[in-house]
Amino acid sequence: MQFFGGSEISPAPSAPTGSGNNAHMMYIFNRNGVCLLYREWNRPLRTLNAQQDHKLMFGLLFSLKSFTAKMDPTSVEKGNLGVPQLPGQGCSFHSFRTNTYKLSFMESPSGIKIILVTHPKTGDLQEPLKYVYNLYVEYVVKNPLYVPGTPIRCDLFNTALDQYARSLA
Amino acid sequence: MGREVSESCVDNLMIEMVSAYCNRFYSTKPELAARRIEAIGYQVGHQLSERYTMERPRFSDHLEAIKFICKDFWAELFKKQIDNLKTNHRGTFVLQDNRFQWLTRMSIDPSPANADLSQDSSGETAENRAVQITSMHLYFPCGIIRGALSNLGIPCAVSVDTSNLPACSFVVRIKA
Repeated sequence: MQFFGGSEISPAPSAPTGSGNNAHMMYIFNRNGVCLLYREWNRPLRTLNAQQDHKLMFGLLFSLKSFTAKMDPTSVEKGNLGVPQLPGQGCSFHSFRTNTYKLSFMESPSGIKIILVTHPKTGDLQEPLKYVYNLYVEYVVKNPLYVPGTPIRCDLFNTALDQYARSLA
Repeated sequence: MGREVSESCVDNLMIEMVSAYCNRFYSTKPELAARRIEAIGYQVGHQLSERYTMERPRFSDHLEAIKFICKDFWAELFKKQIDNLKTNHRGTFVLQDNRFQWLTRMSIDPSPANADLSQDSSGETAENRAVQITSMHLYFPCGIIRGALSNLGIPCAVSVDTSNLPACSFVVRIKA
C-alpha cells in the first residue's frame, strides 16, 4: 500500500559520504545537568534556543535511562535508579534511531554523559563514545586551566574532537 | 628502585600543588608562591640527582654535568631527552624541550566570537591569566634543574622562556 511506501513523502537523506560530515552534533553533560560542551557540525534546523535545547536533551535522557531500567525484563533486582553505573552493569540505554538521524548515548561512572547525533545508517557507536571520553580525560580533566563543572573551553580538546568526528564513518 | 607510581597521579598532584599555592596559600603574593614552588622543586631535584648518579663517576666539567641533565636525567623524568642544547661557553646554557610533558595538555579559551568592546579587556585578562598560570607551572621544573645541578656542585640560576608552547627553553646561568 502506498501509505507504507514513504519514499516520495519523506526521502531518506543521502548516504554518508567519505568526506566525513557524518556527525551532526555532540553534547556533553555532567552529573548535575550542566552542559559542558555543545558542538555542532551540521544542523540546519534549530527549533529552540540553546538553554531550552540543553535542558530538553538532559531531561529526555534522564527519563529514557530511568524508563529503560524500569522496563528491563531480564533484571533480577531493582537497581539504584538515577545513579550512574559501571559499564556493563545494570541496564543502560545506548541509542535511538529515527528515519533521519541516530542519537547515541554513553554515561561514564562519574556521571559524564556523552551524546552524539549522526546519520541513521551509522553502526554501534559505543567504542567511539568511549574514545571521546578518553579525549575528555586527557585534554579537559588534565588541563590545569580547567575548572571542573564549568563549560569546556579548551582549544586542544575542540581540535581533537573535530578531527575525530570527521573521521567517523 | 622498583617502586612505580602512575603518571596521571603525578600530573594531577602537580596541578593541585600549583593551584593550592597560587589560589589559597599566597593568593595575594604570586612571587612568594613562585618561590615556594621553586624551593620544592629544588629539594626534589636534589634528591633525584642523588638517585640517578649512583653508579656514575664524577663529572669532569660543567658541560658534562649539563649533558647528563639533558640526556639521562630528563629521560628518567619525562621519558625523552632535551631536544636542543645551546651554550655561549661563558656559563650560560639553554635547554630546549619541544614538547614539555607537563605543558602538553594546557590549552586556553578559544577567542569568543562576539565583538563586544567591553568584553575586550576580559578576553585579554583570560589570556594573561593563562600565561601566568603556565609560568607558575614551570617554576617546579626550574627548581628541579637547579637542585640537581647544585647537588653536582654547580650553583646556578634557572629561568624559563615560554615564547611558544608547548616548547619551552630553560636558561641555566652558572654562578662563577
